[in-house]
Amino acid sequence: MLSTFLNHQWKAFWRSRNKGTSIAAQLFLGFVILYLLALAILVGFGMELIIGKLLPGKDVFYVFNGLILYYFAIDFLMRLQLQELPTLSIVPYLHLRIPKQKIVNFLNVRSLFSAFNILPLFIFIPFCCTAIAEVYGPFVAIMYVISILSLSAFNNFTAMYIKRLTTVNVKAIIGVVVVISSLALLEYFKILSITEISNRLFSFITLHPPTAFTFTIVALVMYFINGKYLQRYMYTEELSTAQEKKVSTAYPFLDRFGAVGVLAALELKLILRHKRTRSALIMSLVFMLYGFLFYKKLLLEKDDIRMMLFAAVFITGSSISIYGQFMFGWQAAHFDGLMVNKTNLKHFIKAKFLLFTTISTIVAIITSFYGLISPKILFIQFAAYCYNIGIGTVIVLYFATWNSKAIDLSKGSTFNYQGISASQFILMVPYFLIPYAFYLPFALNGHPYWGIACLAFFGLLALCTRSFWVTFLANELNKRRYKIAEGFREL
Amino acid sequence: MILEIIDLKKVYGNKTVVNIDDLKINAGETVGLVGNNGAGKTTLFRIVLDLIRPNQGEVRSKGKNVAGNDEWKTYTASYLDEGFLIDYLTAEEYFIFIGSLHHFSPAHVMDYLKQYEEFFNGEVLNKGKYIRDFSKGNQNKIGIAAALMQNPELLVLDEPFANLDPTTQIRLKTLIRSLKNEHALTTLISSHDLNHVTDVCDRIILLEKGLIIKDFNKDENTLKELEEYFSE
Repeated sequence: MLSTFLNHQWKAFWRSRNKGTSIAAQLFLGFVILYLLALAILVGFGMELIIGKLLPGKDVFYVFNGLILYYFAIDFLMRLQLQELPTLSIVPYLHLRIPKQKIVNFLNVRSLFSAFNILPLFIFIPFCCTAIAEVYGPFVAIMYVISILSLSAFNNFTAMYIKRLTTVNVKAIIGVVVVISSLALLEYFKILSITEISNRLFSFITLHPPTAFTFTIVALVMYFINGKYLQRYMYTEELSTAQEKKVSTAYPFLDRFGAVGVLAALELKLILRHKRTRSALIMSLVFMLYGFLFYKKLLLEKDDIRMMLFAAVFITGSSISIYGQFMFGWQAAHFDGLMVNKTNLKHFIKAKFLLFTTISTIVAIITSFYGLISPKILFIQFAAYCYNIGIGTVIVLYFATWNSKAIDLSKGSTFNYQGISASQFILMVPYFLIPYAFYLPFALNGHPYWGIACLAFFGLLALCTRSFWVTFLANELNKRRYKIAEGFREL
Repeated sequence: MILEIIDLKKVYGNKTVVNIDDLKINAGETVGLVGNNGAGKTTLFRIVLDLIRPNQGEVRSKGKNVAGNDEWKTYTASYLDEGFLIDYLTAEEYFIFIGSLHHFSPAHVMDYLKQYEEFFNGEVLNKGKYIRDFSKGNQNKIGIAAALMQNPELLVLDEPFANLDPTTQIRLKTLIRSLKNEHALTTLISSHDLNHVTDVCDRIILLEKGLIIKDFNKDENTLKELEEYFSE
């Protein structure tokens, strides 16, 4: 039975409707995984050398033992973020003559097919087989391998369990966050050291090898807890979404813009009410921190601001470029509805401008704290902000009129490559190169700040001539709207 | 005459999906489109609503080509499928959104919806759900009510009776009839249910592979005629 399920999954992957993109994405992902695996093998076999080089004079086994739990702690956090829950795939089987227990087992086993479970094997096992087997004997080495396999499985099932808990019960997220962050704080302030605990545990195992089975037992317990939980909540609606009461909201700020504001409010709700768009938004907020990497006092004193211009454009415009690159695919599911209703394309375009300008302005205001490093940064960021809302928005929306790839918002966000095509990558090139077209002529002649001023000027010029751009974009969209609508219907 | 279709043709690959030489629809008519799957009903509706570009010919609404023209939107309301709904809004938010496009205030919209309480059967308003979480039938109701709310002169509905419970089907028919009498509403309906179509429409158009096979006014023999045609 289990093999039948896995066989179906295999077919589902190869026969999926947007096979082209998903295979390309999986290939890309495959290469990334292969690369990571190759790295892992290198690290695995070179462990002795690497430890010796990086931490000379320290006992190799001491470092290795300390590393194990540390690795799995990070691994666990990554899993919580990235590992997908295999749930929806079971819907067609629930009503058939298949015992629940089998479906539960399938879900549990299915979750083991993940790169997360392969990586640690490559990283740790080579060292166990070589160095540990040599010094402590083969029995201890085998017990090491068993502990690593068990820890991996334990992480796998615990992460699944927590993910399941948090999808059903939103409050559980708070608990998980509190526990993890307090552990992280304890580690940070050296009150409780994961490395130290790990060291003691594995030194103990070298002395009393059979105790390694404790890990196995804990992993098995987690497996059964998961199974029990799944058995109890084997209803798709309980597995997938939380049942909370939804409320209607209004945005008074946008109301004052009339019909355009109504459309902008509509899109804001779209962003806030879907996982994938929310994470795009959060991403662009995280990118606000990039300033700490790029804004260097030393470079500012030398007026070497080339990279800072890029950073400023990226920081103040990441929301535009990250969210905008998939436009209007976000609205694929109701594009027909928007087209037949009593709005027009100009309003449609203006609403995008309004939304971009609002978000970009908020980000620009927040990130003005970088001005504390140097007022020069404020100037660069202001120019970048003018570029983003004046020229960047036009570029993004122009590319959007060529994009007829729909995005299914009901899908999650991690490793979701749906809607991605070559045009998205092409978009990024002009978006980040054009600022240099304004900057470089001046910078090469030794006046970098005149270049920045030039960028700001043209950004503001484009902003002042916005009504022209709105008409232009509405006409472009009108030319291709049938093709876009057709592409979106294939969702 | 509110709608005029002239020399219209839509081809996909080498298959002609819609092929209509001349069709005139007068104001106040309730027209039913019947035909098997693939007859071109939905494609025709989409062309009428300027969602698909025809290969040839045009659709004139009140004498003006609908393509590249927004004027028809002021008096045309439609519901073809869930693609017309914005599924991440609550039902109330959706109604208010549609209302705002016609400059109705939120209070006006909520007031207006009171008359549909019976039609909604207490299953749509104040449910605290996004539209995507409603059943198909209730989604249908939301779409139809939002279309009616726009006080249209021309109403286009694709399969409005599908997914509706019997009570609502009867209520919808009464609603369409009364709107026709009170506001001279022109309605285009497609349906697979011959009973409903003959019941509510006063003109029936039979499509097959994009061509108009029959176009006649309803009389007492219509249902029998249609049943005979489709049982062949």
